Amino acid sequence: MKYDVIIIGGGLAGCTAASELSAAGLKVALFSEGLSLHDATVGPASPKAQMHSPYAALSALAAKGVTVFRGDSIIGACLSEDGTSVKMVSSRNLGSEPLEAGAYLLATGKFFSRGIMSNMEKVFEPVFDADVEFEPDHEKWFDPDFFAPQPYEKFGVKTDAEGHVIKGGKSISNLFAAGQVMAGGPMSESEIEASGKAAAGKILKKQ
Amino acid sequence: MQETSISTANLEQCLKCNLCTLVCPMLAVNEQYPGPKKAGPDGERYRIKDPEYYDYALKYCLNCKRCEVACPSGVKIGDMIQTARIKYGSQSKVRSLHGLRDWTLASTDFVGGIAATPIAPVANGVLKTGVAKAVLHGTLGVDKHRTFPAYSSRQFETWFRKEAQAAQSGFEKTVSFFHGCYANYNYPQLGKDFVKVVNAAGYGVKLLEKEKCCGIALMSNGFAAKAARQGRINLESIRKAEGPVLTVSSSCTHMMREEYPEVLGLPNEDVKDRIMLLTRWLYPKLQSGEIKLNFRKDFRLKVAYHTACHMQRMGWQQFTIEILRMIPGLELTVLEPNCCGIAGTFGFKKENYGYSQAIGETLFAEIRDAKAQADPSVPFAVVTECETCKWQIEMSTGIQVINPVSILAQALEDR
Repeated sequence: MKYDVIIIGGGLAGCTAASELSAAGLKVALFSEGLSLHDATVGPASPKAQMHSPYAALSALAAKGVTVFRGDSIIGACLSEDGTSVKMVSSRNLGSEPLEAGAYLLATGKFFSRGIMSNMEKVFEPVFDADVEFEPDHEKWFDPDFFAPQPYEKFGVKTDAEGHVIKGGKSISNLFAAGQVMAGGPMSESEIEASGKAAAGKILKKQ
Repeated sequence: MQETSISTANLEQCLKCNLCTLVCPMLAVNEQYPGPKKAGPDGERYRIKDPEYYDYALKYCLNCKRCEVACPSGVKIGDMIQTARIKYGSQSKVRSLHGLRDWTLASTDFVGGIAATPIAPVANGVLKTGVAKAVLHGTLGVDKHRTFPAYSSRQFETWFRKEAQAAQSGFEKTVSFFHGCYANYNYPQLGKDFVKVVNAAGYGVKLLEKEKCCGIALMSNGFAAKAARQGRINLESIRKAEGPVLTVSSSCTHMMREEYPEVLGLPNEDVKDRIMLLTRWLYPKLQSGEIKLNFRKDFRLKVAYHTACHMQRMGWQQFTIEILRMIPGLELTVLEPNCCGIAGTFGFKKENYGYSQAIGETLFAEIRDAKAQADPSVPFAVVTECETCKWQIEMSTGIQVINPVSILAQALEDR
């Protein structure tokens, strides 16, 4: 399946970018592993979540013409030989079906939504194995003061000045990042939204 | 240190976020149901300690898997509930009238084998009468608002062996066909449509050496051991079959691919990738130009696509949607993926009828709206891969529901 843009992650950043890009006339596909974790952190018990249908954000995007893959996630990627562009990605449900796009947006969030993961050796980004900014000394990941800002909250994928994701020290020309998956943070809701909009702007400029 | 989950169905990945609770169609209409989180991961922790904690309200689970689609952590909540029902719930016995009803509803091969014969017109006629419905309602507990899908007087397999099999040897390449109970006993035209489309694509059709009902109705009615026996027979036949094993029903497909290993404990890793819906197989071949289909120029139809629950769980709806878009003269609307409420045999039972209709109402309203907005001069239909959704939508809205394979067959140029 071919799209202008494939967005990986149906949270606030991904949904904002999808909305902007489809409004600009692009053919957009969005993969959302489960319902948005943004909704999860707000909590269904909160009045905010009860006011709208759980799928309100994704349904609104579908109504605008975005192809929404609910409950599916991108699990693999194929890069060009020199490692500077993404050729295609594949999803868990669509299996062998190649998913191609002019641009890809990584909006998978941080540890909670497994956009960034860690093991005993390293902190990594699981879809593209993009370069991640993190503190190699495990001892320095946490501040023992529970209420202090935690260093691990800033871990995330590296991007260049134009917003391209970096892998193996090289910028990937058609892969962008938005939201919490990026190094830095943590972001407020409005910062995540702005980040989604900014990424959409960068993708549009490239088209 | 243990780094990965070792529990079954990803139990320990549950964050207690309650998104499953939010999307559960049963919980929205029935407060007796504990909801997927409590029935699934929460309850499971207690059940592991002591089976006494099993809650009989788990019978209300529709097994729609919408909880699993919503889960951001990959917890197989629906599988967990199904497994608990089999492991801790009482398996059905045909000792009571309701037990007999459940057995009758679940035994599609047995009942179909008797009814889908030359006696079918009589059986269909009798089942349609008010008297029969009142008797079934009062005795067995089959809701009087329900009409059984009509049985065919000639089974698909009989038709295929007599009318179509010989011509299949003319094709170099073949696919195997798991037709399912509905195409075999109730609506052989669907099987015929499958043969027409596959032949038009340049492939011959072979039946499996032995095909049994996939067992989904047995599993959900408390006859898991029998479902597993049938599953073993099907997997054995699929192992012997050549090439892909194609299907027309989303629920049979989901059952054989996902629930055989996860719920019934039947390993299928070696054949899983070969079991798929016709549209899943066809789309990449149409896209690459390997297969070319010639469509009629005068075909006109407005359709609303309904993503059946198990279709949504497999995530394959886009293959069908993209194929439908290739048909000239077909206008497509994609409905919000909502449950129709029938859940196979669940909605046929009189104690469930109210829940079933309440759940489906959102979908029915959207379908009625789509029809009202459509150009009345163009025929209108709902498209879905699930036969029980078809019965439910037709019974509840009076609007015709067609399998996408039949749409393809109708849109093809006659050769």
